Amino acid sequence: MGRKTGFLISKILELLATLILVSLLTFVAFSVIPGDTAQVILGPDASQAQLDALRAELGLDKPLIVQYLNWLIGLFTFNLGKSAAFGVPVSGLIAERLPVTIGMSIIALIFVIGISYPLSILSARRPGKILDQVFSVLGHVLFAIPPFVLSLLSIIAATALFSGFRAGQYYRPEDDFAGFVGCLMLPSFCIALPKIAMTFKYMRSSIIEQSSSEYVKNAKGHGLTDFRIMVKHILPNSNVSAITVISIVLSDILAGSLIVEQVFNLPGLGRLLLAGIARRDFPLLSGMVFYIAFITVLLYFAADILGSIADPRIRLK
Amino acid sequence: MKTASSRIFFITGYILIGIIFALFIVSIFWTPYDPNMTNPAIKLTPPCAEHLFGTDNFGRDTLSRVMYASKYTIFISFAGIAIALALGLVTGIPAGYYGGWTDRGIMLLSNSIMCFPGILLALVAVAVAGPSMYNVVWALGLVFAPTFARVCRIGTMELKQRDYITHAKVMGISSPRIMAVHILPNLTASLLPATVIGLANMTLFESGMSYLGLGVQPPDASFGKLLADAQSYMTRAPWLVIFPSLMLIIYILGLYFVSEGIRIKSSKGGN
Repeated sequence: MGRKTGFLISKILELLATLILVSLLTFVAFSVIPGDTAQVILGPDASQAQLDALRAELGLDKPLIVQYLNWLIGLFTFNLGKSAAFGVPVSGLIAERLPVTIGMSIIALIFVIGISYPLSILSARRPGKILDQVFSVLGHVLFAIPPFVLSLLSIIAATALFSGFRAGQYYRPEDDFAGFVGCLMLPSFCIALPKIAMTFKYMRSSIIEQSSSEYVKNAKGHGLTDFRIMVKHILPNSNVSAITVISIVLSDILAGSLIVEQVFNLPGLGRLLLAGIARRDFPLLSGMVFYIAFITVLLYFAADILGSIADPRIRLK
Repeated sequence: MKTASSRIFFITGYILIGIIFALFIVSIFWTPYDPNMTNPAIKLTPPCAEHLFGTDNFGRDTLSRVMYASKYTIFISFAGIAIALALGLVTGIPAGYYGGWTDRGIMLLSNSIMCFPGILLALVAVAVAGPSMYNVVWALGLVFAPTFARVCRIGTMELKQRDYITHAKVMGISSPRIMAVHILPNLTASLLPATVIGLANMTLFESGMSYLGLGVQPPDASFGKLLADAQSYMTRAPWLVIFPSLMLIIYILGLYFVSEGIRIKSSKGGN
């Protein structure tokens, strides 16, 4: 008990320290770079008095440490003030774009696990044989294609093959949920393909490594079927590497969706980010940068905890 | 078996990278047409004998454009890696060598940079500094630096235990000299795979950023920029997407193959 809670507490403290550091880094970065939120809101013709008044209203005249603390509180109460470019609350803008990015990430993850698991089991059963070789070469090639290139090529292919196909359609989830999932399928698949290749590679070598271990030989000696050995013995022991790979894959999927959204014209976080960049909207950008980093840090934290559940030895290290 | 497969990876990898470098070298002296010469009369011509890769919406020859773009794709990947490598060396080696607070400080900074998804960091950095090729190089160099810093740090921590470093210290050789002359050259073996895979990842990032319009600016072009320009015409003129994509994939795949060859070879040496 003591060791378990100790491990958990040290991990949570580490998480909090990382988050504070990430928020500090984001805040400092956006304070030192040239650009003035008041100027962005009021435009180039604003008078000095107007600028000063708005700065006071936004709290930009306060010392940096106070500004940081206000921003930090805003991050956790989802109150980051108004976007400089859009004039509406930042949290609302982000929340509005979340369904697309989250939807794509979930569908892509389902593709990654659903395809890479069976393939790696199939491939690892006879390493070095023709099926394994084909999958491995295919994996290398897919890994080298940037998701947005894959998206462009898949749109060309789909347009040529299906006369009814139209790229860039979007259905809001509250209007047409099936349509929403449908329009995210192809983009999610394009993001998932290189990650399928990556997960396949790690899972394959992990399964091969486990297969040659003593306990598998022992299980075989006891006359257990290959299927039972795979499901009951090899896969549970591959969980730790699977969890690590999948946490990396998920954060890559999230980052990848930022660009792929642009190809398919989907209103997700990526397009919001680009709109913010184009209009130098610092309140929006700093909020988005922090939240995306926050999700990434949280993913790695979850992977650490899950990994320690899957393999209690990690806690002792 | 293992030697054979590492050789296959090396040969295929070098051939693929060679194709792109050949395009680049030839483009210095000769391209079939002027890559920026517009000719509305022949716009969006499909691939034919005069224009092997077809023409774009301004009537520019795609083959010439692709050859011209190879220069920028290659330049950005190498320049970005050079910066990342330099930053990694000057932070990673002292971190590993001195340990203590130097180490803790440098590692804290590099770990917190790694919390941000790389592409996000690069996009925001370029957005703030203004979209240009040199800003992309700097931004990507910064984003990739922590990876190299880690490799250097671990390598230095190992090397510093060796007898020859202790000897050098006893002989009164200064720490900067030990790091530069005795440690740095011995890190090459561990830095090489990271560099090759870094080149591939750098190209992936750069193409994405140029595609979003935050990278190479017109009239210059990289493969990613060509794809961005092609998007509006992609269903009418798929060759505008297919050829630059192909070149991009060939370059990245070549680099991955070489890095895979290095990995297989070194894992064999380790056994």
